[in-house]
Formats: sequence, structure tokens, C-alpha cells
Amino acid sequence: MAVTKIFFNARLKVMMGLAIAAGAVIALRLVDIQVLRHNVYLQMAERNRTQVLYQTAPRGRVFTADGVAVASNEPSFSLYYLGGNQDAAYLDRLAHDFAPRLRLSAPQLLEKLRSGAKSGKATLLAENLSTKSMVSLQELQLYYPGIYLIEETKRSYPYGGFASHLLGYLGSMDDRAWRTRDLKMGYRLNSKLGKNGIEKKFEKELKGTDGGVYLEVDYRGRVKSIIEDKKWAAGSDVYLTLDFNVQNAAEEGLKNSKTGRGAAVALDPRTGAVLALASAPSFDPNIFVPYSDAENPAQSKKINEYNLAVQGIYPPASTFKIITAAAALEDGHLDITHKVNCTGHYDSGPRVFKCWGKHGPVDFFDGMSNSCDVYYYTVASQIGSAAIERIERKFMFGRQTGIALPGEKAGNLYGPTRRARNKTYWFIGDTLNLSIGQGELLVTPLKMAQFAAAVASRGNVYRPYYVDKIVSNQTGKTEQIGKPEILQKADLKPETYDLLFKALKYTVDNGTARRVKIKGLDVYGKTGTAQNPHGPDHGWFMAFAGREGKEPSIAVAVFVEFGEGGSSAAGPVARAMLEAYFGLGEYAPKPRPEEYYQELLPEESVHVGV
Amino acid sequence: MSAFKFVASSGRSRLDYLLLGAMIGLVLVGAMCVMSAVNSLSLSSSVVRTHLVALLVGGAAFFAGWSFNYQIYDEQWKAVYGFILFLLVGVLLFGSYQRGSRSWFVFPFFSMQPSEICRVCTILVAAAFLDRRGRRIRDASTLFGLSLLLAPVFGLIMMQPDFSSVVVTFPALLVLLYCTGVNVFYLGLIGLFAGVTGFFTITWTYIYLHPELTDYWLIKAFFELSHNGWYMAGFSALVVLAGYGAWWFFKQLRIFLPSFYFVLATLVVLAGLFGGIFVDHQMKHHQRKRIETFLAPKSDPKGAGYNVLQAQIAMGAGGVFGKGLFSGTQSRLGFVPERHTDFILAVVGEELGLWGTLSILGLYLLMLWRIIVVAYSSSDRYGYLVCSGIFGMFFTYMLVNFGMLIGIVPVAGIPLPFISYGGSNLVASLLALGVVQSVYARRIKA
Repeated sequence: MAVTKIFFNARLKVMMGLAIAAGAVIALRLVDIQVLRHNVYLQMAERNRTQVLYQTAPRGRVFTADGVAVASNEPSFSLYYLGGNQDAAYLDRLAHDFAPRLRLSAPQLLEKLRSGAKSGKATLLAENLSTKSMVSLQELQLYYPGIYLIEETKRSYPYGGFASHLLGYLGSMDDRAWRTRDLKMGYRLNSKLGKNGIEKKFEKELKGTDGGVYLEVDYRGRVKSIIEDKKWAAGSDVYLTLDFNVQNAAEEGLKNSKTGRGAAVALDPRTGAVLALASAPSFDPNIFVPYSDAENPAQSKKINEYNLAVQGIYPPASTFKIITAAAALEDGHLDITHKVNCTGHYDSGPRVFKCWGKHGPVDFFDGMSNSCDVYYYTVASQIGSAAIERIERKFMFGRQTGIALPGEKAGNLYGPTRRARNKTYWFIGDTLNLSIGQGELLVTPLKMAQFAAAVASRGNVYRPYYVDKIVSNQTGKTEQIGKPEILQKADLKPETYDLLFKALKYTVDNGTARRVKIKGLDVYGKTGTAQNPHGPDHGWFMAFAGREGKEPSIAVAVFVEFGEGGSSAAGPVARAMLEAYFGLGEYAPKPRPEEYYQELLPEESVHVGV
Repeated sequence: MSAFKFVASSGRSRLDYLLLGAMIGLVLVGAMCVMSAVNSLSLSSSVVRTHLVALLVGGAAFFAGWSFNYQIYDEQWKAVYGFILFLLVGVLLFGSYQRGSRSWFVFPFFSMQPSEICRVCTILVAAAFLDRRGRRIRDASTLFGLSLLLAPVFGLIMMQPDFSSVVVTFPALLVLLYCTGVNVFYLGLIGLFAGVTGFFTITWTYIYLHPELTDYWLIKAFFELSHNGWYMAGFSALVVLAGYGAWWFFKQLRIFLPSFYFVLATLVVLAGLFGGIFVDHQMKHHQRKRIETFLAPKSDPKGAGYNVLQAQIAMGAGGVFGKGLFSGTQSRLGFVPERHTDFILAVVGEELGLWGTLSILGLYLLMLWRIIVVAYSSSDRYGYLVCSGIFGMFFTYMLVNFGMLIGIVPVAGIPLPFISYGGSNLVASLLALGVVQSVYARRIKA
């Protein structure tokens, strides 16, 4: 017996050893699962049991400097299906009852419902539903458990095409958007994001944090309870430097101009802030926020995104005579009282150059106010083209204004130095062409506004900016975005500016720019008509103005494509903008901004029958 | 053997209190977990009621097992054997057909699964048989005799069919044989048989589920082996040749081994092949899927792999301290399958955390250790054998149930005694521990 006992002992020991070894392996694996991989599994468990019905946060609004919300939000509704009841007859009934209200066909809706039922996840049936259809849907959802109506907001632009080239518009998430964004950044499959303009540039700030209803579901997708109703956090508001009325005047003016095509820019010459930046034709960004995805997506294809104000380049024509005049004044040899006899043409030797009229004897002021070409031909041939190019460079012609807009064109600098660099010849005809702003010289309307502002501020070439600040709706914190920035100083003699001011005022009071003569204001202006070999001439108008006896506080440049006369086509637009800025003439008190989503959206954000 | 010395100092107590403590701990934890696991089920109150009733019956069974002298089973082993056959034949004749097998007796107020109680009785009978073998215990005839004796039992169980019962009983018998002192070579042969059977079963199943593999002629030929008689005959001839070759080879090397070793090895490989063919033909599609899931758990997370994955998610989500009783989302919302029976450890893991699972593991190890101590301290060989068999049974349960959850054993549909819901299993397990206590109580020869 004793021998057997020892033998058994050994085998019992082996068994106990096996049990302990097995226990150790199991314990280690348990630690691995329950401690080391705890977070991963916890996340998976949470994902298992929760379904989220997201509520898009109201995007931050966009305000003009005078407080008008030009991009805002409207309440809208989204309809979800939770995939709980999978009975085919039920889905059929559901599709039939809801389809007409969602402007979908019953088979289309049934398709959505079926895929939703299959996936077991919340499925968006329709979004951007109007308040009107919401009432009937709300009633209907009581009869159909598993249907959720969620209140959200949708983007709206209350003034239609107002500053559409600056504001941009929204679009849905595409492959390119997914490459740089993901769910962690709060983007979902049906998120909208800024595709252009401010909406794109300040996407991060405008977006806000989406809210959502977190539902607890069982393994078959049936709703057990509402875990959390997370309120969204609205995005930050963007404040522009635009003046609502000036922008409005510019847009209306361009739309009603001879051809309806052109650009108008107004800057504050003291800072470079953009008061208006309009390009016609414009578009209505509201069309990108469709009622539902079934509605004419074709409409969104044909819009004019071309921003003529920064992308269109044209010869500045007679407005450029200010440069020639400044060059002559800087030269110091110009006798402003000396009269040049305008016979309607100028003989340069190889070629005869024409004037647009027959002005007789003209001095410096007459030359400006009548825009007499012969006077400038004469002056230019005396001072030489290099002097003109020097001034041109001082005002940064041929360079971008540096505004934060995509696709800005630099235009083209025209002068002997540039020509020499290109290793071609400079002829006397070039000098004469340059003096009246024709030829190879090309500018954008914004460039001309910057130039007008530079003259108005006696030499400060500012970088134009149109975003003032961003105000957070959560913290109330203000982030200053736009600041005045002098790119270059056009340091001409003070007498030169004095004489230019005098001549430009004279032009407004007695000359070609009489259209912008406004009582109570000191207005300085110059017209221009750009010869166009391909069609009718383009009309230019540049002006700056201040209240009587005060320094100029607005500078405008208006360009009307194929407008023919600078004064007749572009003049009225400039006048309207000036009047709007100073609150004169037909400009009635401004509309008040409305607080959109704070009033319109109730606290209770879900209407549910679980 | 410091662990076994503990016995000597425990005096003349009639109960092993540590074993009793482990048992009570497991039963209490189990009752709590079952209540929590079924909390969200519509039939929860009936489940809890059944569990508590089973606990009472099990308590009675424990006392009965403890107070009866275990030597009665040795003396009256034929009666016990008859009882097993009676139950198993009875269930085939009168049992109710549920979930594809006939393994339940349904009475007006309760139902029972006879194979659970039969498992314990089988151990008692096997131990009695081995006890009677005396000094011939190391002979091969012992194994053949035992196989002949138990063949009807396993045959009847397979007729239900109750695959999982076999899965637990077979390893328990192996442990019993090992502790009896059977020649390790024979055990090795049994292991070889099981290994060959398992190899064929698993590889054939894998090929069956991946038919594109048969493009390669060797794999195709291998697969043909499972159902083509010509291939079987050819392969058998090859095996016999290989056996003869090995014998001849060893002879040339002048290493003289008894020739019946080679005969046995050859026979065992052939038996393994036919065992594999038999299992392969018996297997149902869901069982094949289980093997597939075990071989590649990530292959089908929504389908067959779903259960194990969800169970592991539940355990992992519980972390160290768990989410608290009645608050596990995975189990409450139905993501964990069979949450009050086979996968109850997942519920424990989720709601009580690592502490819960480790506590159960610890209680199990304590229980196993005490059973071994009792086996050691037994006054006769029969008590020793009974305890080894019961040890083997609980060890298998622990290994398979924990192993299934942590992904080292295929899902076999085996509960965790004391913790899982299941009245018959609880009663049988408590009875087994009662028998162990009976061995302990009678360790000192009067």
C-alpha cells in the first residue's frame, strides 16, 4: 500500500500541476482581455448598444460690420428610421404613408427602409424638411414606432445672392473632403461643409459641435431608452467688414447697369477694410441647401462662381491718368498752368494718336476733368515712360493686392523696364498708350479700388481685408482676424497729392465725373473708358469721398464690362455706393439683424414616441 | 508535499471545510450571476425559481452523497450501471425532443437531463471496474475491458445525441485512468487515437468550408479520403505498410521492441482514421462552423464568430471592477448569447469584472486542490479513484468553459457547474461533491 501511495502521489501532483498551469494561463488571458484590452472592448460594447441620431449644429452666422446676418440658419427637420420593427408589411405601409410627404416615390423610400432594417442602424430618410411638412409628419410618426423626427437647422442666406462670391456656399461630404476630415472631427456622411468663400475658409470656426440623441438599443436594434439628449453647440459667428448698404448698393447697381456684368469694390482708405466687394452676375447660395436630395440637383451645376472683382483683368484706361499726372508733378518740370492745345489728335511721328474729343487749350486741371488724351500724350512725351513706370510701381501695379481670396490675378505692369526685361523694344507709341492707361497694362477692379484708397490716404497702399473678427457663441471670446496692413508707402511729395486731390475734385465738380457730385460730401473721382478690340468698351469709375472738410473715408472702383461710357455705366453705381455709405439720398434706415436660431429653436429638440 | 500535509492536521473532522467553503462560494456567486443574467429576460422569474429549487434539491443530493458510504457504489456497481442504462434507454424512449436532440425527461412540474447524473454514475462505475482489476491494472486488457463496459453508455448518449456530454466525460475518464496507474503507453495510444481523429475531423471540416482548396490534387485526394471507400482502403494499406516498415527498420537497427507495439500503433492510427470518418459524417453544419470559428475567429464576426466575440467584448468591457450587477449592457441587451448558461462567465466578467472571473477561477482551483487532497487521504483505492474521476470532470469543465471564452477551445456548449443555470447539472455536481465529502468522512479506517 505504501508503495502505491507514493506512486499515486506523483500522478496526483502531475494533475494538480496541470490544473494550476491551466489556471495560470486562463488568469493571464483574463487579465489580457479585461485589463489590457479593456478600453477597446469597452468602446465596442458602447458602439453595440448605442445608436445616435445626430442633430446638426447651427453653423455660425456671418454678419456685416453693421450687424446684419447675411448667412444664418433656419429650423428644419430630419426624419430617421431606427430599424426596429422589421415586419415587411409594416415597412410597406410606412413607405406608402410617408413617401408623398417626403417627395419620394414609395419604392425609393421602401428601398431606404429595407437597407436601414438590414443594417440595424439609424437611417436618415429625409433631411431639410420644411416646417410645413413637419406638422403632418409629427402627427404621422405617432402611428409608426421606430420613426424619429429630429429638429435641426439648415443654412440660409436671407439676402439671396448678397456677397455670394465672398460668402461661398455649402456642399456635401465628397471623397476629397473625407481625405482631410473624419468622424473624430465631427464630420458624418450627411454633413455639409463649406465649399467656397468664407464658408470654406472658416469651416472650422463656423461648424460648431453637432448634438445628438443617444439611444440605447438591444441586439435587434430595438430602442430601450434614451441615454442622453446632447444639445449642439453653435459655431462661431464671423463678422465681416462689409457695409450692408454699400454692398447692397453695389450689387443692385451692377445688376441694373447697362450689361449687368461687372464689379464694384469699396475700401476704407484709412484701413484697407473692404466695405463692398460685388461681382455680377452673382448666384444664390441657397440653392445648395436643397429641400431634399431628390430635388433638382441639376440646378446647382450652373452658377457663376467667377469673381470678376479679383479675377477679371482689364486696362484701367483714363483712370490711369492720375498716375501720369502724379509722375509729371513728381518730375517737377510740369507747369500746371501751361496750356496744351487739343486739336483732337496728336502726331507722334510714325503714327497719329487721337483724343476722344476736341478740347482746345487745356491746362492741368482741364486735362484731368475733361480726360484730355492729347494733354497726357504731351506730358508723357516730356517726362518719359520711365517716370510713369516708377509711380506705377509705387502704387504696386502688376502685383496682387494680397486680399485673402482665392485666384486673385496680379494684372500686368506696363513700362520700359518691364519691356527691357522681356528683351523687346519700347516705342514712343508705348509711352503714349501707357500715359492714358491703354496697351498692355491690366488691372483688376480690386486693384483700382486699392489704388483709389492709396491716393485718398496720400500714399498708404493697404492690403484689403474683409473679415473683421470671429466671435465664439460658446465662450463669447472675440478673435480679431483682420488688421490694417500697409503693404507699401507711395511717398510722393505732399504738393503732388494736394494737386491731385484738387484736380480730382475739379473733375467731379466740373468735369467728366459730375455724376458723383453729392451735396455735403467732398468727392474726388475719375472716369475711364477702356477700348476693347473685341466688343463695346468697358466703363470704369473710381472715386473717393469724405464728409465736407474731412479726410476721405471711402474709396470705390466700379467696372462695368462692355458698359461703353465710364460715367454713364459705372458712375451711377459709384454714386449709389457713396450715398449708401454716408446714408444720403434714397438710403432709408438699415434693416435690423434678426436673432435666428436662438428664438426659433425650442429647448426640447426631439419629438418622440418611443 | 506540504499541500497534502494539511490533511493530517485537520483531525477527525467529517467534512472538508475548505471544499465545503469553495462549494458554497461557487453556488452563491452562481445564484447571483444567474439572477443578474436573466434579469432582462421575459422568463426571468421562472428561471430564478427553477435555479433555487435545483439548489435545494442539489443540497439534498449533497447530503445524501455525503452521508451514504461511497463503498456501496463499489459493491453495487452493477446496480449503478443498470441505473445508467435504464435512464439512458428511458430518455431515448420517453424523452422529449428539443433543439435537435432527445435528452430531456419532461415531468409535470419539472424536467431533467439524465445524462448529467449519468456522468457522475459513469465515473463511479468506471472506478469500481478499475478497483476490481487489482494488480492487472497495467495490462492492456484493462483498457479493452473498460471500453467494452462503457461502449453502451457512450453509444446511448450519442444516440440522443448529446455531444457535449461526451466531450466532458471522456477527458474525465482519461484523468481517472491516469491516476489509476494505467501504463502511460496506452494512454499515449488513446491520445494518439484522439489526436488522429481530431486531426482528420478538423482538416476535413476546414476543407469542407473552403472548397476552393481542393484545386490542389493532394488536398483533393486527402478530402476524398473522408467519403471514398477506395481512397480509405488505399490509405489503410499505406498505414499498414508504414507500420511494417517501421518494425523492419527498427529490426535492422538492432533495436528490439515488442512487435505488438507496432501492431497497436498501426491499429490506433487506422482507428483514428475511421473515428475521424465517423465524426465527420455525424457532424452538423453548425458544429463545423464552430470549428471554423475556432480556427479563424475573425473570419465571420457577424456570423459564427459573433458569439465568442460578443462574450469577449462583454468581459473586456467589464474591466477590473466590472459595471456592477444588473448593469452589464452586453448581457442585458442580448448581445451575449446563452448568457445564463454556457456564456455566464461573460456576464460575470462584464458585471463583476476581473475580480469576479478570477474569484470563480480561484474557487475552482481551491475545489480541485481539495478534491485531490481528499483523494490522497482516502482510506481505500476506490475512494481515491472516485475522487480522481470527479477531479477530472470538474477540471474538464473549467478548462473547456473558461477556454471557450478566452478563445483557446472551440465553442462546445458546455456549462460551468455551480455558476451556469441548469438544474440537472447543478444537482449532479453537488452530488459529486457530496460523494467526495463521503470519501473524506470515511478516510480513517474504523
